[in-house]
Amino acid sequence: MIAEGRLDFGAAKEFQAQLEQVMADTRTAPATVIIDCAGLEYVSSAGLRVFLLAARASQRAGLGFAMCSLQPAVREVFELSGFSRIIAVHTDRAAALASLPQRSA
Amino acid sequence: MIEQRLSVASEAAQLPVLTRFLKEFWVAAALPPAESVKFELALEEVFMNVVMHGSPGAGTQVEVSVILCDGGLTLMVENEGPAFDPLLLPAPDVAASLEERKVGGLGVFLVRQMMDAVSYQRVAARNQLRMTKRLTAGVDSPRLAPSV
Repeated sequence: MIAEGRLDFGAAKEFQAQLEQVMADTRTAPATVIIDCAGLEYVSSAGLRVFLLAARASQRAGLGFAMCSLQPAVREVFELSGFSRIIAVHTDRAAALASLPQRSA
Repeated sequence: MIEQRLSVASEAAQLPVLTRFLKEFWVAAALPPAESVKFELALEEVFMNVVMHGSPGAGTQVEVSVILCDGGLTLMVENEGPAFDPLLLPAPDVAASLEERKVGGLGVFLVRQMMDAVSYQRVAARNQLRMTKRLTAGVDSPRLAPSV
């Protein structure tokens, strides 16, 4: 899953819907969700809320959940909010993939 | 000192208008691009708080002022309506676990972290929130002065 552009109040609802759809699909496919944020320039508390709900839903459903490639401005928001302590954040996609538990198909 | 002011309806659909207003100010005043995001976030969080908590009904306006003065930038967000001080919202528990973590109060918490000063005032029948931060990339910094 790719997050890009601005994840503000206006964009959060649609992004949440997309994320929920992806996560519903993953229940039958590889059981991990990785959000690649290389193109994400901006996130507000409305966007953080979506990430929090998705991470929590993943945990409850037994899915892996990680984020990667955060730009400095987004990383700062994650650190200030304490989200980098409760959501796995990796430098790039390869590191995120390597960190998640492998499941046989 | 440069000051610009914009008045918009107190509704979520106006957020992109405010963001554009701030970005245009940024470009016009030739401010350092990297510093813009913190102010965009502060404006969104405070404006959305007004929209969701502070407005008595349809048709109310929110006034946003951007003031550049002495190397610092101030955002001021004002609205008519019942007294609402977002700074009184309880701070989120940033050490809570994923399962227990709540999102309420996170926006204002971030604004406080990112700005140098945030203050609320009740002026007449208006809520007034001021947020100020120094812009760090000022070329007139004494440290950057050439030494002989």
